[in-house]
Amino acid sequence: MNSLAITARLQAAPVGRSDPILIALWIALVSVAVIWIAPFVFIIFTALKSNAEVMTTSAFAPPTDAALENFTGAWERGNFSTTLVNSVIITVIKVPLGLLISAMAAYALARMRLRSGKLLLLFVLFGAMIPFQVMLAPLFTLVNAFGLIDTYVGIILPYLAFGVPYQVFILHGFFRTVPKELSEAALIDGASHITVFSRIFLPMSLPVLAALLILDFVATWNEFAMALVLLQDRHMWTLPLGLMSFQGQFSNDYGQLNAAIVMTVLPAVLVYLIFQRYFVSGLMSGAVKG
Amino acid sequence: MVLRSNSLHAYRTEALVLLAPAFAIYTVFAIWPMIEVVILSFQRWNGLSADRAWAGLQNYRHIFTADPVYWMAFRNTVLWTIMSVIFPPVVGLLLALGLNQKLFGRGSLRAIYYLPVIIAPIAVATMWRWMYDPFFGLFNQVLTNLGLQAWIADWLGDRSIALYSMFVAYTWQHVGFSMVLFLAGLQGVEYSLVEAARIDGANRWQVFRHVTLPALQVTITIVIVLSTISSLKAFDIIYGMTGGGPAQSTQMLALWAFTQSMQIFDFGRGSAISVTLLAITLAIVVPYLRWTQKREAASE
Amino acid sequence: MNTGQFVLGAAASLALLSGTAGAEDLTVWTLNYSSNAQVNALKASEAEFEATHPGVNLEIVMRGTDEHKTALRVAAGSDTGPDIYFMWAGLGLGGEYVKAGLSRDLTEYYEKYGWDDRVSVPSLAFVESFGAGKHGMPYRFTGEAIYYNKTLFEQAGITAEPTTYDELVAAAEKLKEAGIAPITFGGTVNWHVMRLMDVLLETKCGPDTHDVLMEMRADWSTTPCATEAFTELDMWARNYILSPFMGIDQKQSASLFFLGRAAMMLEGDWHVNPINENADIANFGLFPFPTGADRLYGFAEYLYISSKTDKADLAAEYLDMFTTTAFQDQIKGAFGALSVNKEVKLGDDALDLHKEWITIFDAADGTFVNGDQAFPLDVTTEYFRIINEVASGNMDPQAAADAMQQFIGNRA
Repeated sequence: MNSLAITARLQAAPVGRSDPILIALWIALVSVAVIWIAPFVFIIFTALKSNAEVMTTSAFAPPTDAALENFTGAWERGNFSTTLVNSVIITVIKVPLGLLISAMAAYALARMRLRSGKLLLLFVLFGAMIPFQVMLAPLFTLVNAFGLIDTYVGIILPYLAFGVPYQVFILHGFFRTVPKELSEAALIDGASHITVFSRIFLPMSLPVLAALLILDFVATWNEFAMALVLLQDRHMWTLPLGLMSFQGQFSNDYGQLNAAIVMTVLPAVLVYLIFQRYFVSGLMSGAVKG
Repeated sequence: MVLRSNSLHAYRTEALVLLAPAFAIYTVFAIWPMIEVVILSFQRWNGLSADRAWAGLQNYRHIFTADPVYWMAFRNTVLWTIMSVIFPPVVGLLLALGLNQKLFGRGSLRAIYYLPVIIAPIAVATMWRWMYDPFFGLFNQVLTNLGLQAWIADWLGDRSIALYSMFVAYTWQHVGFSMVLFLAGLQGVEYSLVEAARIDGANRWQVFRHVTLPALQVTITIVIVLSTISSLKAFDIIYGMTGGGPAQSTQMLALWAFTQSMQIFDFGRGSAISVTLLAITLAIVVPYLRWTQKREAASE
Repeated sequence: MNTGQFVLGAAASLALLSGTAGAEDLTVWTLNYSSNAQVNALKASEAEFEATHPGVNLEIVMRGTDEHKTALRVAAGSDTGPDIYFMWAGLGLGGEYVKAGLSRDLTEYYEKYGWDDRVSVPSLAFVESFGAGKHGMPYRFTGEAIYYNKTLFEQAGITAEPTTYDELVAAAEKLKEAGIAPITFGGTVNWHVMRLMDVLLETKCGPDTHDVLMEMRADWSTTPCATEAFTELDMWARNYILSPFMGIDQKQSASLFFLGRAAMMLEGDWHVNPINENADIANFGLFPFPTGADRLYGFAEYLYISSKTDKADLAAEYLDMFTTTAFQDQIKGAFGALSVNKEVKLGDDALDLHKEWITIFDAADGTFVNGDQAFPLDVTTEYFRIINEVASGNMDPQAAADAMQQFIGNRA
């Protein structure tokens, strides 16, 4: 639907300055975009079809009448009311908290003269590169040793730990570009570093923080492997775990399975569409300065 | 004097207050497990009993010589990494070059290409698993409609193509990421240089080859390293699509380590597998960190 | 014994303490059943138990097969987990947990409630097998056999249910010639194709040799029937299994069976209800896989009380309620043909296939369990891999037997 509308709009408009290569390029890009978006169309169509219709009609045939009961059915069997709430709770606590502690550390590393500052930065940067997937088992034993399996705290702490490196890295890069004069005046007036951080740097870095917030939201919202290991009780499951379990149990109920996919994916897609420019600018700031 | 030492003390306290939360959590929940995985790899432990017996190199000997799946997982991991470093970045670069032109609707196009990046990998796995369904899925239906029955395949069940089928889904998800990084890099290409080259009579390819590409060098390195790292992390998508099957033919090191530890409950062998993956990662990360440091030192 | 009593006392006092705290939670972890009848039966037990135990909140957590195995094993290593858990009773699954100390000795409850007299003898087979005392309460005893689509059999000109292995192969050949896929399996869940291997081993090796192979006391590579069984598996996969099958799971395979895309399916007695819910059940028949021996292919499922629970008495009350004649009578047929309670008989209104199952149970002499219940976890993982290699035509039978033996040899 979306792609069709875009295609229509694009065709109506004059392209470039009628450079034939640009036109060819534009057609190629639109074709690729159609392919890119086709899976979504297929998933949404399937989600709106009854099982019998799925097995008899062709893939891109629009559903005859929208089988909305797939959504209510999947909502219930997939325990979405629980998994959605868990995902929201974990994300809402983890993301801002993670940004705050990362910003604090990044400020100290960037603006305070510390003897081991360089070493600390390297130490953090190292973590950004190491896949946590290799440590799922020790992570489990560790969280278990604290008695935190199946708790919000037990999942949020590791999430924080693995979010810190990238965020510190980006924010450190940003804080270093802030002109000295801004903070020095305040420091000479006797303000503490904590004041300077919270009164000057934090407000100033709002755009970067917003970008990081969005990126971290998506990462936390989508995280699967750690949740798989640390959240065993289905009351604690997040959306990705719920979806996986749904696939395991109802793989032959194609309509509901696809409705479950749509419901799992939708929140992240909405956030993306609303805050699109932050995604790109956030990634770019990381890349350019990285 | 007193005042000074006091203020030094306050300075340290402040630094501590600012650094402690992040570093404490990071050390306990990210660094310690990494040390622990190394320790575990030299032990025998089933996850249940209280005692962890030291086993020396026994776990390593087992995975290298007696584990029928390890080398398959190793091979797949390497193959996957090589493919991840080539395909998504190349497609991403092409798209970025295209979108860097002043084209109508490029904002929407960029949004579409980037959309899969923000979807949970496990949802991507579920989506594609359904599309690959041999009986009712998208691919075989489309092929049937096109009269290409001969091309119909058991995309995830045929060991000769299952890994590549998964990689197509992975590419679909990751191209947008490389694309955005390259778009960012292209912002850094001086337009005046391009103009100058054009005026000097260079064609598009020559401009790309001699102006754009050199200017993108830093971005290319970043994209390659990030692609490598994210490919080593490939876990969700394999767990969700094939679970390593058929017959462990799409098994990878990260998932095989998880299987050994968390499903067979042989923490020792699982950790030994993790350590080998860790070693591969370090072999890529350490030189990269050195390179970053040198760059930073040069720019200062 | 002393420590046991101490723990018991502590558990009892803890139960008392938590009892005073108001609402009490009792958690049961079990499988997610595909049949509504089964889910409803579990829900009925929840309602019934809560009605007779005011202030108790019974919670039944259902998971997919593989997930349940993982979750329970993880819980075993941690301080969390259920009060009651479901597990297959064989050595490889239920037995492992008993050995690991996760299961509570239920001797006192067996005595208190007289479960020994209530429950059928074959289903009690594993209660005392793996640890001191009595472990687990049988809640289901199942068999697996071949379901077939009568219309498709007729179309292929098959007039009688096969009674020998050769007749079965001949029937499959007739189906194939008639353009009908003879049998369906889902390859992504490894345990489904394994069922075929299990019955082929029983067919080719006979009960005694089959048992020593599964106990890993015989050499797979030099026991000819092991290779022969792999040869037959290869033959079935090549010729008779609805293809492609490695890329679908058991649920999808069942859907195809209901749709009439394949003529046979090797399933448990629990499959009667899904057939009834998804297809015209009159069109389906049933016969035991003709292994040539009289043993039933099947297994017992137990509900165990966790050794970690502080509500053992309450948990035992649930197990007791679940297996009473009154309740089993209420849910009969939901979990399969046979109730673990000796007193409960199928009514006249029972489905024909359920009645047929009773005949199969009665005719059986002993049982053999599924491979994944017989082997320890690591061997099961390898067994799955080898079966899949053979089934996808990637490993020849002798190599498969050798690989199996090599893995077993490496464990020692």
